[in-house]
Amino acid sequence: MSNRRSFLKLSAGLAAGGLAAGLSSTANASECVADIKWHEEVDLLVIGSGFAGQSVAVNANREGLGKVLVLEKMQVIGGNSAINGGWFAVPKNPVQLAQGINDDSPAELVKDQMIAARGMGNEQMLTKIANEALNAYNMCLDAGVKFKKDFNIQVGGHNKARAVRVEHGTGGDIVTKLYEAGVREGVDYRLQYKVEDFIMNGNEIEGVVVRRGYRFPDESTGELINIRANKGVVLATGGFTRNMELRAAVDPSLDPSLDCTNHLGATGEATLTAMAHGALPVHMNMIQTGHWGSPDEGGFGWSNALLSIGWHKGIAVNPTTGTRIMDERADRLTCSTAIMACRHKDGSPAYPLVFFNKNDHLGDARVTRAVRDEMAWEMDSLEQMADKFNVPLAQLKATVKQWNDYVAKSEDPDFNRKMDTAVKLKAPFVVSRVWPKVHYCMGGLKTDIDGRVVNARTMKPIKSLYAAGEVIGGVHGHARLSSCACLEGLAMGFILPKSIKADA
Amino acid sequence: MKKLALILAMALSTSAYAGELVDVDKGMQGRMNHEMLYADDCEACHTGDAKKFVDDSSCIACHGEINEIELDTEKLVMPEANPHKSVHYNQGASCLACHAEHQTKKPVCSECHRTWFDEM
Ligand SMILES: Cc1cc2nc3c(=O)[nH]c(=O)nc-3n(C[C@H](O)[C@H](O)[C@H](O)COP(=O)(O)OP(=O)(O)OC[C@H]3O[C@@H](n4cnc5c(N)ncnc54)[C@H](O)[C@@H]3O)c2cc1C
Repeated sequence: MSNRRSFLKLSAGLAAGGLAAGLSSTANASECVADIKWHEEVDLLVIGSGFAGQSVAVNANREGLGKVLVLEKMQVIGGNSAINGGWFAVPKNPVQLAQGINDDSPAELVKDQMIAARGMGNEQMLTKIANEALNAYNMCLDAGVKFKKDFNIQVGGHNKARAVRVEHGTGGDIVTKLYEAGVREGVDYRLQYKVEDFIMNGNEIEGVVVRRGYRFPDESTGELINIRANKGVVLATGGFTRNMELRAAVDPSLDPSLDCTNHLGATGEATLTAMAHGALPVHMNMIQTGHWGSPDEGGFGWSNALLSIGWHKGIAVNPTTGTRIMDERADRLTCSTAIMACRHKDGSPAYPLVFFNKNDHLGDARVTRAVRDEMAWEMDSLEQMADKFNVPLAQLKATVKQWNDYVAKSEDPDFNRKMDTAVKLKAPFVVSRVWPKVHYCMGGLKTDIDGRVVNARTMKPIKSLYAAGEVIGGVHGHARLSSCACLEGLAMGFILPKSIKADA
Repeated sequence: MKKLALILAMALSTSAYAGELVDVDKGMQGRMNHEMLYADDCEACHTGDAKKFVDDSSCIACHGEINEIELDTEKLVMPEANPHKSVHYNQGASCLACHAEHQTKKPVCSECHRTWFDEM
């Protein structure tokens, strides 16, 4: 009984914290701001608890910007950042230097990104972000994030090994630690608070309408309240890959056979709300597919981790022909395109096989769990593999033989693959199937290089409205490079608080 | 506040366990171990309208915070798959992300991974 009472008292206390008056009256944009009942007031409101939201919140708090409140609509923190693969591009990171790679720099990273962007990237902004890489990395270390020891590798599309990885191979390692740091230092976080609308005063945002107690995905749950933000509102709401209507509206070519890697809440309504209030969207149709999805598991799963071995040590083969299909270490767009070209006669996906030597990776957790969860298989021979996946055996054998010759010569005349990590293939193998999954929105809201959201009519900032992370567009152009979203979100946390201070 | 140590019901070899769903009220299902809460009324967990608001505070009042709730770690398929200390969310997960009171719910990890938790 006393337990129940203490709980009831507790919730009554919470309600008194601002909700007592006029719960039913919520504002809409057309209402005069003076009439609005504010249920709560803070200095900085951050919407979204992924890398961008957490880094902005923690850094804004450290910069003394006042009361910082982070709103998250889901029942867990972190959005895509919490399920992310934990690859983090940091030029001049200590492991890289210890590996003797001394010729990297933020500018080198930006060079790679601009190539991948295919003429559509924002060099100035990428540079600004890359310059904060070490700060972002150190913030993680300080918060207690553990990185894999001595680990720094070259991931797709980069010309240097500069990606570190967190201990458990998931951005959750970062999100949980930043969250703990934030809580410790006084940042206020609320789950199940979904931002529904903005409260504008002309070209300035004053606050937001929030659905408090929201239970995703039931839009009828929760109750509406108004929260005022004195110094600004930061959109850190991520991408919209899970919004099928929006996805199809901006890119009808996205193959309906493609699954999605993102968390279920990546539905982009905050992007659309911002647009409704005048924000300029850019590059909305530039949606990246990850070429390392497995059709044999949901979401992101284990596949990407497994294939970090596969792409380096193994090869990708079209099951209908038994031949290789691409430079396994090329960037995402190149690989996705090559993979999706593999079809059966009726047009259905012929999932390419990626395989590498089992005995070189005995006991590697990436392999053990993939095999355990039946999204990869151990095959004793090419015969067994050909039989299981219906591959023309003679050609498969010829492909492997030719590959082994290429490895010996350290040269790939077919696809010009970089061969420094290539290994001769010898049974038994670990085999998985791949098919791209929709993965990242390069497009989103246009901001200036300091993170101020740009008004579509005036091309000038909407006052007090900021954005960071995947929700913004126009940074990466046609293709974001692996490990650079982690960097972007975390780095913007060092940039935005400065902008907010400057505008105050 | 007295906390109940929870043993995660994964093996499910027994027919009745603390969190089992039973009919509690007019066709509404609820957890067997929460009967005393139903004896009060919905307000014991929902402050106000049930549709409008429910959060973790009612769970936490009896069971404690997520990281404090003991699981039988020997039953975990692997140490990383400890849902109360998950590498993705750790303390940043609402009880409701994996548990529901009136129905079974898929744990949030099942969005991507095979899971070994059948009853949540
Ligand atoms: C499976 C996966 C693996 C990846 N691996 C890597 C990697 O290894 N390296 C790398 O650099 N990048 C990786 N990426 C990309 C990268 O993780 C994301 O781009 C990045 O996490 C985005 O961070 P963010 O803070 O912008 O958004 P998110 O982390 O998605 O956070 C946005 C948050 O806002 C919340 N939100 C949205 N709308 C509202 C609203 N209306 N009200 C309240 N809250 C709202 C969402 O629920 C979400 O929690 C990966 C992505 C995925 C999906």
